[in-house]
Amino acid sequence: MLLQFDRLGWWRWVLVGITGLTVVYLLMPILFIAALSFGSSQWLIFPPPAWTTRWYGELFADPRWLESAWVSFVIACVVAVLAVAIGLAVAYGLVRGTFRGREALKAFFLTPMILPVVILAVALYALFLRIGLNGTTTGFVIAHLVVALPFAVLTITSALEGFDKAIEDAAILCGASPLEAVVRVTLPGIAHGLFSAAVFSFLASWDEVVLAIFMASPTLQTLPVKIWATLRQDLTPVIAAASTLLIGLTILLMLLVAVIRRGSRS
Amino acid sequence: MAGVTRQAAAIEGGTGLAPGRPRRLPAGPFALVVPGLLLLVVFFALPVLALLLRSVLEPEPGLANYAALIGSGTYLKIFFNTFLVSAVVTLVSLAIGFPVAWTLAILPPRIAQPIFGVLILSMWTNLLTRTYAWMVLLQRTGVINKSLIGLGLIDAPLPMVNNLTGVTIGMTYIMLPFVVLPLYGVIRRIDPAILQAAALCGASRFQALRLVLIPLVAPGMAAGALMVFVMSLGYFVTPALLGGTANMMLAELIAQFVQSLVNWGMGGAAALVLLVVTLALYALQLRLFGTAGLGGR
Repeated sequence: MLLQFDRLGWWRWVLVGITGLTVVYLLMPILFIAALSFGSSQWLIFPPPAWTTRWYGELFADPRWLESAWVSFVIACVVAVLAVAIGLAVAYGLVRGTFRGREALKAFFLTPMILPVVILAVALYALFLRIGLNGTTTGFVIAHLVVALPFAVLTITSALEGFDKAIEDAAILCGASPLEAVVRVTLPGIAHGLFSAAVFSFLASWDEVVLAIFMASPTLQTLPVKIWATLRQDLTPVIAAASTLLIGLTILLMLLVAVIRRGSRS
Repeated sequence: MAGVTRQAAAIEGGTGLAPGRPRRLPAGPFALVVPGLLLLVVFFALPVLALLLRSVLEPEPGLANYAALIGSGTYLKIFFNTFLVSAVVTLVSLAIGFPVAWTLAILPPRIAQPIFGVLILSMWTNLLTRTYAWMVLLQRTGVINKSLIGLGLIDAPLPMVNNLTGVTIGMTYIMLPFVVLPLYGVIRRIDPAILQAAALCGASRFQALRLVLIPLVAPGMAAGALMVFVMSLGYFVTPALLGGTANMMLAELIAQFVQSLVNWGMGGAAALVLLVVTLALYALQLRLFGTAGLGGR
């Protein structure tokens, strides 16, 4: 009875009320930022006195915003490719391997996910200071790869576990070499997992702030660092415009993942 | 030709009696793990260990850094504040998360689906974007203060940024999906027949909730709570932007030791405290609930 909507009596309206307010709570910031990015007021007043695309104009006219977005994009793409490649190898080894200490290794590969990222940031900062990687693209890629890899390993491992090994074995029985079997049978079979891993790794790098704050130099900063630095000065509507574009990108990526998942199921 | 022979041999081998199982990849599965392992050892495990070592080696060997951390009222206040903020965020997340997860579990999928969409959208939206949105909404001249004044509920703007209220609102926003999604899974797995049995045995709705539903959901709530608490302990960006200097948390203290004060010994010591508390709570979580609750960021 408590799990059937129409048998909850007046309680259901309490639950619906709380859920409705929560939806408002979750949507409000996103919608307001999108609305304010088109508002004419410098002071982010709602409702805006007039509508304008001025802030988008300022955003695109400032080479530093464009440059940091480009830097973020390139780093995130490299991280996604590397994370999927290394993550696939690790996941395959962990799922198919029978060596000792496999469980402990699996846990080790997930630890960067649970460790507070500020500890990793400070530790890598110290290391990079010593070997001269702070403020370099390589440094960013390495740092972001460390946080993206667990997501890739986790996603690909679960895709591999859901893929029937008998199909791989059948390909080998039919004359494929083991490598051929993996490349032509297993990889297409877990393609949706590889794709999700790529998207998660891309986002893990694209959205990453804490490591980036430590790795950045005045001449090389990712988009989140640029937003962070601007935010500490003032709440200009240019950030609202940048944020709205980021939210748009997020919605696009979400839809893409949803479409791919639906496609892989049928 | 060679292919045919290999095929024949493989089929023979595969018929069960002969020992010829399909061959593994030549290098063996462990070799595949090595590149990833090297990456994490060199750029994760060793640097973190080196940082922790510096806490007992710099400026001179000994436990002076830890003594300084415990001996100072300022630092103790930061520890206290870190735990306070994490506890408040955890409680508020649970208080909102449980009814929402329950509603999602009983609503028809047609209505529940879009709500899931909103939850996942908010989870995937850039962290700084979400924090910026709250900075704008909560400021003195922000929409929330203006609406409250407009409605005649308050006379002067409420201070909602640079204090506990701001951090709680901003961080609960981030943590909510991590409570709702696992709790939803737990509630969906409950057999409705159990609750019908409770009703048949004469339980009122409130009794069924208190004596049947909540005990069944409790492990999920505890697992979610522990996870949100641990994640909150190490949070950096949102408290730094919404909390203000009087509400500093541990992660910001670590960053400050290293970046502004260039005091690696103290930075390492504060990092070790955070690390030990985090790992201890995760160990507790594994012990109590298994690996099911892990997987958030």
